[in-house]
Amino acid sequence: MQEPAAPTIYIVDDDEGVRNSLRFLLKSVGLLPRTLASAKEFLETYKPTQPGCLVLDVRMPGMSGLELQQQLNLSGAIIPVIFITGHGDVPMAVEAMQHGASDFLQKPFRDQDLIDRIQRALERDARNRAALAERERIRASFDSLTPREREVLALMTRGKPNKVMAAELGVSQRTVEIHRARVMEKTGAASLAQLVRMAMDQES
Amino acid sequence: MATIGEMAAGVAHELNQPLTAIANYAQACSRLLSRPGTDPSELQQALSEITAQTVRAGEIIRRLRGLARGQESERELVSVNALVREIIGLVECDARAHGVSLSLELADRLPEVLVDTGQIQHVVLNFVRNGLEALASRQDGTGQLVIRTALSEHDVEIAVIDNGPGIAGEAAGRLFDPFFSTKESGTGMGLATSNTIARLHGGSVGYRAALPAGVCFYILLPAKSTA
Repeated sequence: MQEPAAPTIYIVDDDEGVRNSLRFLLKSVGLLPRTLASAKEFLETYKPTQPGCLVLDVRMPGMSGLELQQQLNLSGAIIPVIFITGHGDVPMAVEAMQHGASDFLQKPFRDQDLIDRIQRALERDARNRAALAERERIRASFDSLTPREREVLALMTRGKPNKVMAAELGVSQRTVEIHRARVMEKTGAASLAQLVRMAMDQES
Repeated sequence: MATIGEMAAGVAHELNQPLTAIANYAQACSRLLSRPGTDPSELQQALSEITAQTVRAGEIIRRLRGLARGQESERELVSVNALVREIIGLVECDARAHGVSLSLELADRLPEVLVDTGQIQHVVLNFVRNGLEALASRQDGTGQLVIRTALSEHDVEIAVIDNGPGIAGEAAGRLFDPFFSTKESGTGMGLATSNTIARLHGGSVGYRAALPAGVCFYILLPAKSTA
């Protein structure tokens, strides 16, 4: 399998000491950290196409970690978020988890705990990206169908036999068979069952 | 309202930052040491960062001690004008560095106040720093900061007035809350601490709009003698 671009670990923390120490720690285990001092800086830097995860301080001046998470949610970003929280921020962490944060850690933490969570987040990101890419591929393949092939697809997903389709479309069974084959080929579906599922996914 | 408990929480939060950094560096060092071919200069870098973070933690503790000492009360009767004059050298330096002109308007014949001088100076310096930061948007050298003392009924007031952009509506109600900050790098503890110090002295802190522009932050301290 082709190796995708190396994931970036974004670290957003207003505290310079914490930020630099996290960068040092993550580099020491061969990860690619990118440190940013504020939510604003992150929003200016972040590219949704870049795989990775976000290690985010809950409490920051300006836009807080929670506010950044909400903004990312609103914009449909899928980057997994690991919150790091200070003393007594547990209620904030709970709120963050309710809004879909993938994990949280209390400062100071064991390095292995952070690294494990980052690995989990990266796996989750890779899965999400693969699912999105597959969905996108299917959408493009459906878009590439001719109007006639789309009619055939609609009848196929309703389970109509070739003979019925030929009658409904006013063409020969042989022509229906050719369209069918083209639909299967373009969408890459291995079976009728899979094709039906793809079509349903696209509608949802 | 910031209580001692909230201040303690603030200090705990502040201390947690260097501790986190130290833990991260130390753990990274031990990872690097267990791997062959590690560059010693990399370890050196982490170790000097650890030292820097312990110094930082020490400073936070020293500040806390300073505040705790105040509670045991090393208070004396002083003139607020003398208290302000003691730190004026420091303030002038700061103002000059920010391209802001500083002036003093110290009232004559003010009653004395019974205070921990260091703590009240800390409050005034905090107001000054906020004022200078508010004036940072004025790069044209028209920024002005005034330190004014006055009698206000039974209280003596020390006020720091800037001609900056003023305070946005949403920030107004929360200025003295711990951790609230409008600054990118603020801890949100400056004004909350000032508030606590004022209360410990039986006084209060507050702010009002300055005319024609800017903000006036003030601390009111009960007058203890008639001048």
